[in-house]
Amino acid sequence: MSNERAMTESDNPRERARETGADRTPMSERPSIDIDGLELTYGDGTTAVDGVDLTVADGEFFGFLGPNGAGKTTTIKVLATLLSPTAGSVAVNGFDVRTEPRKIRESIGYMAQETSIDPELTAEENIRFACEAYGVPRGDRDERTAELLDLVDLVDVADKRSEEFSGGMKKRLDAATALVHRPALVFLDEPTTGLDPKARNRLWEYFERINDRGTTIFLTTQYLEEADKLCERLAVILDGEIVADGSPADLKRQVGGDVLDIELGGDGEARTRATTIAREFDAFRDATVEETDTGISVTAESARQSGTDLLVALRDAGLTVTGFNVRAPTLDDVFLAITGERVDTNETEESA
Amino acid sequence: MSTPTDQRATGEVSRSANTFAGDVWVNFKRWNLKAVRNPFVLVVSLAQPVIFLVLFTEVFGNVAGGAVSQGLPGVDYTSFLVPAIAIQVALASAVTSGIGLVNDIENGMFEKVLVSPMNRTAVFVGKTAAEVFRIALQITVILGLGVLLGAEIETGIVGAAGIVAVGIVFSLWFIAFSNTLAVLTRDQESTIIGANLLQFPLLFLSSAFLPLEVLPTWIQTFARINPVTYGVDAARAIMLDENVMTVLEVTAFDGALNTIVPAVAVLVGLGLAFGSGAVYLLSRASSSDVR
Repeated sequence: MSNERAMTESDNPRERARETGADRTPMSERPSIDIDGLELTYGDGTTAVDGVDLTVADGEFFGFLGPNGAGKTTTIKVLATLLSPTAGSVAVNGFDVRTEPRKIRESIGYMAQETSIDPELTAEENIRFACEAYGVPRGDRDERTAELLDLVDLVDVADKRSEEFSGGMKKRLDAATALVHRPALVFLDEPTTGLDPKARNRLWEYFERINDRGTTIFLTTQYLEEADKLCERLAVILDGEIVADGSPADLKRQVGGDVLDIELGGDGEARTRATTIAREFDAFRDATVEETDTGISVTAESARQSGTDLLVALRDAGLTVTGFNVRAPTLDDVFLAITGERVDTNETEESA
Repeated sequence: MSTPTDQRATGEVSRSANTFAGDVWVNFKRWNLKAVRNPFVLVVSLAQPVIFLVLFTEVFGNVAGGAVSQGLPGVDYTSFLVPAIAIQVALASAVTSGIGLVNDIENGMFEKVLVSPMNRTAVFVGKTAAEVFRIALQITVILGLGVLLGAEIETGIVGAAGIVAVGIVFSLWFIAFSNTLAVLTRDQESTIIGANLLQFPLLFLSSAFLPLEVLPTWIQTFARINPVTYGVDAARAIMLDENVMTVLEVTAFDGALNTIVPAVAVLVGLGLAFGSGAVYLLSRASSSDVR
């Protein structure tokens, strides 16, 4: 049975801090990322990014969401100087991606979607190679390597070859190698895809920690729970264009009202009838009614006040209500409202 | 869990201005470390030539020795074969260059290196230097083993170094070739198969195992355009201190140099041709231009 659980407040501590005015003062006026009219068309004519404008402030934990193929990774690759924009201007840490790519490379960390570590090297050697590649001063390398191994909890396996690691350990090692030069800005492209919940939680803690020490984070993710928990601000990209932008709470407010999930006994016909009843229900003006796997889901301003009336109406119509739950909208509802589709994370959910 | 130290990311670039040579060194070290870690790379590319050296001298030594001494009186088969095995090592080892590149592309290290501020030319120079270094060591092992089996290097230690140098010059075109395969196929198996399939025809259809005079005409014809012939002839000229080349008649120099100079010239030309092809493909693969 579902419990009724009111969740009107944001459960994101950063966001709470921000909303109560306890926000950190920005470290510099210059934005970390400044994108103006970015377009990217591949050689086969596919336009992956179509006129994106985006600014990410220094020190921000920024989330970039969108369905698969919406243009997330393409955008991140432009920012990391792996792809040259077709049109538009892009500045990262104040440097232009076209004219000063090497300056950008020196000042960013980049964690690719696919785990990128050298399996033949040990954890320590992977980090040490990154130190050398990023020109960490010789005298600082030992200390920096030890500190990062500690930060991602790989001290015990520092001398083991990384090919023996679990998926979560490899991801953590990959993240550590992106931070050797203490970059002001870090790109994380779906860093937790394919990880089990425990490994995901540890990475989250770690990302919060590096953000707390002042690093700007640009995160893409398929997990809306992850974006909700971590990000101060989100943008949603769809078909190469940004269709929503704001804090998780702002975006949730845009959904309008609360969500009433009702579980029903019986078959699909029962759900279809319930959907019709809910749509015609007088107390819900402008309600969005959606059939789910187990029943129906109603989003409306007055879901909280008039929810019980709907339950009574369903019972009167001979339908069996086996459970219900009134809740504040989640990012999943936001995503549904914007893109018209639920984020399907199940297909990518594998144990590490 | 560690306590976050009070370090803050500053916008400043704290990079200690890596030099080109520094970037080469970083990559040189990484690829050497990988070679030591991966017994396949080190042993397999050495094992096959060693087996050839031992088996050929033992099994064919008596028969082939006769054919060799017709053209080169007083030369035993072991001394004749060792330079060919040195070139075989260079060939077998050069294949691993492309395999290393494919592995890097597959496990994401290629892209990781591209987002780093390292000089991209230095990255490839460092990797290739590590491979050439390995080839030099492996040829040295083969020469040592050859001497143990009774081969004589007429030109001594200097000659041995010369054979190593010829092996390195020879390896360049095949290193470039295996990298070209790697970039084009981006697939480990295709690269291994493609490069390995070529090895045996190249070795057998050359002056490597028997003097060309005793081989069928069509092999003699193919041997003229086979780079292995030039590598083996140059190495063998140093080994025996004689003009052993039969595919080109050069008399402008003295003795062994009549073989070494033209053969090395051919190899350098090949290295440049294949090398520029590989460099073009590698820079296209690492460019940020949209394709």
